[in-house]
This record gives sequence, C-alpha cells and structure tokens, in this order.
Amino acid sequence: MMDPMFIALSKYRRRKYGECVENCTQILDKNPYDQAAWALKAKALTQQVYIDEIESEEQGIAEMLMDDTSIAQFARPGTSLKQPTSASIGGPSPAVRPVSQAGRPLSGFVRPGTQSGRPGTMEQALKTPRTAQTARLVTSASGRFVRLGTASMLSHPDGPFINLQRLNYGKYAAKPNLAKVLFEYIFHHENDVRNALELAAQATGCAQYKDWWWKLQVGKCYHRLGMFREAERQYKSALKQQVMLDTVLLLGKVYLRLDQPLQAVALYKQSLEKFPNDTTLLVAISRIYDGMNMIEDTTKWYKEVLISDGVNVEAIASIAANYFYTDQPEIAIRLYRRLIQMGLYNVELFNNIGLCCFYAQHYDMTLKCFERAVAIATDEQLADVWYNISHLALGVGDNNMAYQCLRLAVAADNGHTEAYNNLAVLELRRGDVERAKALFRSSAELNPLAYEPHYNQATLSESLGDLQTSYSSVLKSVEAFPDHVDSKNLLVKLKEHFASL
Amino acid sequence: MLVPIFSLKIKHKVHPRLVTVGKYDGLHPCLTCATTASKVFVHNPHSPAIAGGRMAVQDSDISLLSVNQSVSGLVAGQLDKNKKRDILCIGTQTNLLAYDVHDNTDLFYKEVPDGVNSLVIGNVANIDQPLAIAGGNCTLMGFDADGEDKFWTVTGDIVCSLALADFNNDGQDELIVGSEDFDIRVFQGEEIISEMTETEAVTGLCRISGSRFGYALANGTVGVYDRTARYWRIKSKNQVMAIHSFDLDGDGVEELVTGWSNGKIDARSNSTGEVIFKDNMTSAVAGMVDADYRLDGKDQLICCSVDGEVRGYQGDQSRRRIVEANRAMDDVKDLNMTKQNLLLELQNYEREKEFVKPHQLTSTEKINEAAIPVGSTANAELIIAQSPDPHIQLVVTSTNDTIVRMVVIFAEGLFEGESHVVHPPQNNLSNKITLPLYPPKDIPVELHTQAFISLPGSCSFHVFELSNYLPRFSSYLPMSRPPKMPESRITFSVVERVQRVAIWFNENFLLKQELTCDDLLEVHLLALRGGDCSFKMDQSGQIEITTDNLELAGDFIQSLASFLNLEHLQTTAHIPMHLKRLEELIETVDNLHVVTQKLAAEMTDHSNLIRSLVVRAEDARLQEDITNMRKGYIELHELNRDLINGYHVRSTNHDELVKSLKLVNQIIQKAAQLRVGKYQSQVVQQCRDAIKSGKMNALFKIIQAGSA
Repeated sequence: MMDPMFIALSKYRRRKYGECVENCTQILDKNPYDQAAWALKAKALTQQVYIDEIESEEQGIAEMLMDDTSIAQFARPGTSLKQPTSASIGGPSPAVRPVSQAGRPLSGFVRPGTQSGRPGTMEQALKTPRTAQTARLVTSASGRFVRLGTASMLSHPDGPFINLQRLNYGKYAAKPNLAKVLFEYIFHHENDVRNALELAAQATGCAQYKDWWWKLQVGKCYHRLGMFREAERQYKSALKQQVMLDTVLLLGKVYLRLDQPLQAVALYKQSLEKFPNDTTLLVAISRIYDGMNMIEDTTKWYKEVLISDGVNVEAIASIAANYFYTDQPEIAIRLYRRLIQMGLYNVELFNNIGLCCFYAQHYDMTLKCFERAVAIATDEQLADVWYNISHLALGVGDNNMAYQCLRLAVAADNGHTEAYNNLAVLELRRGDVERAKALFRSSAELNPLAYEPHYNQATLSESLGDLQTSYSSVLKSVEAFPDHVDSKNLLVKLKEHFASL
Repeated sequence: MLVPIFSLKIKHKVHPRLVTVGKYDGLHPCLTCATTASKVFVHNPHSPAIAGGRMAVQDSDISLLSVNQSVSGLVAGQLDKNKKRDILCIGTQTNLLAYDVHDNTDLFYKEVPDGVNSLVIGNVANIDQPLAIAGGNCTLMGFDADGEDKFWTVTGDIVCSLALADFNNDGQDELIVGSEDFDIRVFQGEEIISEMTETEAVTGLCRISGSRFGYALANGTVGVYDRTARYWRIKSKNQVMAIHSFDLDGDGVEELVTGWSNGKIDARSNSTGEVIFKDNMTSAVAGMVDADYRLDGKDQLICCSVDGEVRGYQGDQSRRRIVEANRAMDDVKDLNMTKQNLLLELQNYEREKEFVKPHQLTSTEKINEAAIPVGSTANAELIIAQSPDPHIQLVVTSTNDTIVRMVVIFAEGLFEGESHVVHPPQNNLSNKITLPLYPPKDIPVELHTQAFISLPGSCSFHVFELSNYLPRFSSYLPMSRPPKMPESRITFSVVERVQRVAIWFNENFLLKQELTCDDLLEVHLLALRGGDCSFKMDQSGQIEITTDNLELAGDFIQSLASFLNLEHLQTTAHIPMHLKRLEELIETVDNLHVVTQKLAAEMTDHSNLIRSLVVRAEDARLQEDITNMRKGYIELHELNRDLINGYHVRSTNHDELVKSLKLVNQIIQKAAQLRVGKYQSQVVQQCRDAIKSGKMNALFKIIQAGSA
C-alpha cells in the first residue's frame, strides 16, 4: 500500500489533476487538518482552470467605449492605439492591404485584439455585424472570467472546496506557505478578485512589503479590476525589488490599457537590456507597432524575434503576410514553406501558399495547394478558400469559374462581404444591374469599414442617375479610406453636379 | 488703455488659476488650461506646417486630455533635463501626474494623499535636478523626472500658492509658500529662512526679479515684497484671480499684472504700485502666462478668461511714450493738488491770525469755532486690565475738558479688515475711550490711532495721530502665582547670560514693569487665548518652557533664537500628550488606508458592472427588445444608487484621512519649529524617513529628542 499523499503528488506531477483532487479529498476526509493535502488539492483545482494572464487579453465593447483611463483623447498619430497611423504617415493603404470586418488591416497572425478596430460610438460598435469571426465580448470582466468561474463551480455538487465567506484572511496571510496556494485558488479557480485582493493585500503587509511576488499578485488583482493606476504602482514596486519578465509584460499591458503604447515600448526596450533577446519581449514590441499600424517597425521587430527564435510562428507569419502585401510573394512563399517544414498543417497556410504561388506565377503549385486547403477546411474557413480561388479564376480570365467560386464562398459563409462585393461586380458584367445593386448593398452593410463596396455602389448609382444614394455611399467610402483618389474625384463630380442644379 | 495684439475664443470654460503654457514639442508654445469638466485642453495653433504664420483659430487646434478627477494644479516646465521639451504636470486632490504631451506617455503618476493645491517646476537648493513641487495639505513634496520624491517638508497650514524666487540673492531659487494661515514662508531647502504674516490667506505669489516677488490675498489685496520688506500694496473689493510679472512697456523693468474677478486687468509698476495700463475682459480672468505665441521672437502676455477668451498683449517700446505722456499729465495734476492744499493751509493760518485773543471768546463761540484749549493732548496707551477676565486694553484719553469723539485704529492683523472704529453714542461721551484687544495671532503689531478730539458739543474735531507698539507675545500676561502646571515641557540650554534673556522678555512681552533679575529667571504666563505656560532659566543657561501649546513653544524658541543670534539649537521635548495624540492619529490613518483600498476595489467592480449593463441595455435597444432594455436599465439604476452610496462612504473616509494626515503633518511641523537651523530640517527629514519606513518608535524619539 503506497502512501496516499505520495500518490496524489505523483498524480499532480503527471498532470492528472482530477484524480489528484480525488485522492486529496480522501486524505482530507480522514484528517481535515492535513495542510499538505489541503494545499495540494487547492493547487490541483487551480491548475485545472489556470489561464496565463499574460497572453489572455481582450477588451470588451464596454471597456473600449467607456474608456476613462487613457489621458489623451486625440493623441498625435503614432503615439496611440486609438488612432492608428493612416496611410499618409506610413501605415498600410487599404487599397493594397485589405481590412478586416472590424476595420483593421489584416494581420499575418490571428491573436486576441487583431480582429477588432476601435469603433467610434457605441451604436456603431453594437451595429457592426457580430458574426462568428468578429463577435466580441461585452466586457472582459463579465465575459470570459465569470464564465470560467461558474463552470468550475458546477463540478462540485456538494459545495465549493473552500468557503470564501468564512475564511479568516488575516490568519492565512500570516502563513506564506498556505497563503500563496490559497491566493491562486481564489484568483484563478474561484475567480473572486475582490477577495483575492484582500488576501494579497494582507499578505504583502505581513511580508513587510518585501516580497515582490505578493506585490505582483496585488497588481494583478488591480489589473483585473480595471484599476490600472494602482496596478502600475504595484508592478513598479515589484520590479524595483526583482526584475521579472512577467511583471514587465503585465506592466506593459497596463500601459497599453492606458493607451500609452510608446511608454510600453520604452519599458520593453529597457527590459531587453536585462533579458537580452527575450522572445516574449520582442514579440510584445512587434505587437504594439502592429497595433499602431506601423508596418515597417513591426516587421523590423519580428525579424529581431526570428534572430533569437527561428521557429516563432507568429513572427514568420506576420513577416510573410507583409511581404505578400508588398508585392514580394516569392519571399512570402519561402517563409510559409518554413512553416510547413516546422510541421504546421492547416488551411490558412495552404491557402496563403496557394495565393503566393499564383502571384509568383508558380501556376502548377497553385491549384494543388488550394485543393489541399479545400480538403481540410471547415465550413467557415472554406469561404475564404473559395474566395481566394475566385481570385485565381479572375486572374486567368475564367469569369464563370470565378462566379461559381464566389457563389460557393457565399454559400459557406453568408457574411463574407468581399465575396458579395466581387460577386456584384461579376453580376454587373453580366448586365444584371438589379442583382448587382442588391449585392453591393449587402456587402456594404456587412462591413461598413471597407471602402470598396461603398465606392462601387456609388459609381453604380451615379451611372444609373441615383445621385442621392451615390453621394451617401461615396461619403462612407471617403470616410473609410480618406486618401482614395477615385472616391474623392467622384465626390467632387457629384458636388459640382449638385451645385449646377 | 491696453490693446491686445491678438484675441481668440476657445469654446471651453477655463478653471481659474489653472492656466499654463508649455513647449511640448520643444519649439511651439501651447496654452494649456484645465476646464471645469475635469479635463485639460492644450491649444496648439502651430502645427509644424503653418509654423511662423498667423494664428488660425480652429477647433482642431484644441486637444483634450481626460484626467477624470477635478484638476487642482497645473504647470508645464522642463522637468527632464535630457528631454528638450516641456512636461505637463497635472495635480488632483489625490494624485500628481507628469505627462509628456508630445509622446502621449506618463513620466510618473504618484499618489499624493495630501492633495495638490499648487504646483511649480524648478530647482531648489541642494538638489541638482529640476523638481515638480506640489503644495498640499501642510506638506510640500518635490518629485524629479523619475517620480522620486527628492524633497519633502511640512508647513503650518494648507498651502495656497507657491513660487520660486531668489529671495536672498544667492543665485539659487528659494521656495516661497503662501498658506491659509496668512503666512508667507520662505524655504531654503527644508529650512524656513523667513516668515511674513499677512492679513488673509495668500492665494497668489509670483516672482518679479531678483529678490522681489508679488503676492495676492483672498481679500483682494495685491502687493510687492522685496525680501521681507513690503514695497506697496493695494486693496480692491474684487477678488484677485491671478498675478503675473511681465514687461509691458518695454523699459526692461517688469510690471506686476493683476487679473481680477470682474475681468479687469491692470499692470502696475512693481516699485510704486501705480497703474500703468489696464484693460477689461468680458468675464473673470482665469490666468495669465507669457510665451512667444506668435513665434516672432517676442514674448506676449497671454490672458485667459473663465469663458475661454484669450488675449495676447505685446510688450512695446512705443507704449512707453504714452506712459511718459501720461506721467507728465499726472505730474501736472499732482502739482495742482499741492498748490490747492497749500492755499487752503494759508487760508487757515490767516483765519488763525484773527484769534489773537481766544480767551475773549465765550464758550459757545469757542465751540462753534472748534477751538480747543492750547496744550490739549491726546494719549493712547496699552494697559492690562484684570476684570472681568484679564485682557489688553487700549485707552485713549484727552486732557483739558475735551472729549474723545471717535477713535480710528489701523492695525494690520489685529482686526478683521485691518481697521477698527470706535464711535460711542452721543450721550456717552467722555475724555476716555477704552477698547479691549484680543490679538488673534502672535505677531508684533503697530497700532496707528487717530483720535478725534473736541470740546463737548462741538462739530469740528481735532485729529491726533498716535501710535503704539504691541509686542509679539503681548497676549501672554505675566502672573505672580504659578499656574496649574501643564505636563509638557521643552528644555534646552543656551550659552547666554540671564539678563540678555530678560531683555528679550522686555522687548517681546507686554509687561507692567520691566523685568529684572540676576541669576534665576522664572516667569509664569497667562495666555489670553487659553492654556497657561511658564518660562524658567537658571544660571547655567538651562531653559525650560512648560506649556501644552507646542506652537507657542516653537514661537518662543524661534524668537529667542533670532534675538540671541543662535544659528542652530537642539532641544528636548517631553510632550506625552501630543505623542499620544500622534499615535492615535497614525493608527487612524492606517485603518483608513485599509478601508480606502477595500472601498476602491468595490467601486471599480461596480463600475465595471455598470459598463457592461449599459452596453447590454443599448444592445437591447438597438434590437428593439424593449422588455430587456427596461430590465437592463432598471438594474443599472439600482447599481448606480449603490455606487452613489458607496461614494458617500468613500468621500467621508477620504475627508477623515485628509484631516488626520493634516494633523500629523502639523505635529511634525511644530516639532521642527522647536529646533533651530540644521536641527530643524533634520527633524523634518528624519520624521519623513521614519513614516516612510513605518518606524513609529523612531518617529516618537525624533520628535522628543530632535534626532534618531
């Protein structure tokens, strides 16, 4: 008969948390005051639902719109995430690099936050179609965290393991060995940030404010509660005692929430002196530049990432996307091939390689890649693949095939705005004006932040003599892409026309 | 009349006194003001593309910064020597933020529990980096560009105004602090080197040149000091909103420009106080700054009104001619006045000639002619009256059957409004008027009395001007019997004869007879404002002051030290009562801190929930799902109510915290006042360190012994 505690420990180490919890429960049934078993159980329960605080960050609609933490409301371009650099100051032009449904330039790598732009008003944010791809949380406080917390509660029909209401925080705070375990349990498993904060605040006091770990935890609680200034203070104080990567990254996140990206970059660069060539720091810097639409800096820093970490998928994919959109598909292919060599095998990759091959005139490879992409695609991915194949068809002049592909794309995802737009153009070619009009309209409605459908609708309406619709559409187009020459010309023409009336 | 060279309208309400100007990109000055809606706006008409051109006034020139707390201090300046541009410091009641406008980054964000009432950026003695100095609730804190508090000291009361000026002409700036207890204190480093007492809270201070500085009081007084000597002052029924020093007439000497609450702006010569220029704004002046706003190489004076009206005035040589012309006119006027006066006087003499024999007149004629017997005099003296309670009396008497009709007394700081008139009813006239005096503060006062004297029944009066001197500690009266002994006492020793100290006593106290002694000096004092004390000095120079009033003991020591020319003096204090109080206060502060933290977390939690509810309700509205929308908004309403209740709790908590902190700071300040010179700043410094590291025992020891 093996020692039950030893078995539990072994299970924990083998990441069999459920079984570990069971074993601990048995030990605790026999001796409710067994601190080791108690701590191990809490740890196992925590590990079951543990999320890395650093990588998980998504701002909900509420935080973004009712933001009262950032200082400058209209900051200088290039110093704020709210006002991304426009094309005239070095950002990518929407004519070359398409935008996502939420109005941000397509990034090479999908991660929290890359899908969403910053909407102007709440109505706009709420009206922006929330499809499976663009849906976002109402708030980060109530969305992910609460859901996870309740899920873990359900698995304990006979009540929670620790009753937070009856805990005497002062008693536990004085015992560092138990306090840390208990804190993580409350913070991650119970997800009760306020109580976690109380425990952490008392514990940091008991440690005479000399333990950076507690300061970091207090900071995390404030961070989660949205008290960014307090969090900043705790992180900074923790950093003064002990420079830790986690603390640096979290402090950077606080600066981002305060909308001070340059401050975050400065912090990361300063930390790079302590942690030279650290990938997480380099990636974090690249992401900030990416958020500000500063493509050149983004690429530069992603390249830095690759120097120290040659297999960083995010960096490779982002650089490749950038090469692709700056007319160097050959180089993009090389990078994507590297991803394949690394063992990635997914739809997006084959799709991208297919496109690159097509633009680099490796026609033999193109279809093979797309075939494979179609074969392994799920429904929502399928739409994008068919949409890209339609480009190929258009490129070789096979309008019929393009039409079929676009139809398939729309069938797979009836919210695919680009497909609607292109379909409308083809319909127009065929002479079916009414259908084209309808398709343009649905495309424009689905993605108000892309300029093409608006502009197309405006030109079509103008040629049909419907100047009012044309005018309202072209205004939207100019708003989405202020430097678009054709839209501006059309606007001038319309204004002249109205003036002559 | 002053003509602005530019004026513009900004569509924001500007908070009074919160106006500054900064070159945030290092080149172009930007007017920066706090609005009443707890925002700060930066007016930047010079985007690099149109630099050098005329101002284009557009709304796009304004960028808004949200602070989310009401702004209580605002200043821009070069805080970081490495950056060649200005940093904007924004103070609120709880925090200080240093913000780089150009890069949209914080330099630091510091919690300042004592609040920020006034802000200034500059260098102080012994610290080589520029500091942002915040004056709060009895404290002064200086932060460098990294947010380190390099400077900390305490002052007597809530700080209202701050300025940096080279007070003692040593080439380094001293910090001049105006506070609510009517005092202007001058700090060199942590040490108070000078203290001036005014008649109201000091709301404005500004440097002029050299050791000269202007000041403004809450009662509408403006004036200029050169070191401790007051050059001039004027008083108006309007409130002073801002003072600023600027050379408007281009003569190389700066004028003191004052902005008033009725919108008037006037520039006065800093040496005489005469008005040189004036202009009127449509609403109260909010603040004045100077900057090269037109980028033509010359500075302009920029005045900003609370309604967002901005006017710029240029200093100009040509204006000087107008001034000189004006001055000639004034001179002529003055001469005419003098002539008129002399003529009048001559007339009087001629009339007097007719009274060759005044004794021939009847008494009625005498009365009608307002003559009083030759040799009549008026006398004013200060006496100590014993009944009903001991107090000081000013007694004005006249001789030769004349009566004192009325007495007008000017005494700064003794009465509310500086002067006092005693005008007894007709049926109660005599040759004596007595007036009880209760000095509200321990300051020396010059009493200028005008006594109106005549024979009974006469309607014309002779005015006698009399003056008296009320010594500094006149509200402490010597008693013969020892009082009930207070338990607190301060002891120290000086190398000085007892007689010298007796002289100090004679000079600074109102005594019935001169104090003389040979080897032992023991005086028991009765304080008019309550609390008795006694002063004892023996042959060996050992002095013991027994009083429960620490502030008074501090005043005694400071006064005595300056009389005896002592540079440094260390004292030992036995003050169990105050220490107990301090201990209680510190405990309260600790408890309040814990509660504050808890409440803050609760509030943010609620406000997060509110946000999500708003979004949900709006979502429901856009989908025209009215039932759910209603539900959402009802929930929101309830939560909002909770939040407001929570806010009230928080606000009371905060008030209490501020009050306790103020008391703690005051005790430290009083403890520092018990010492002189380097020991004084040592107490402040060590107390700060003790509080920072939470060593309460050390704190008590420092307060008692003067060092750790």
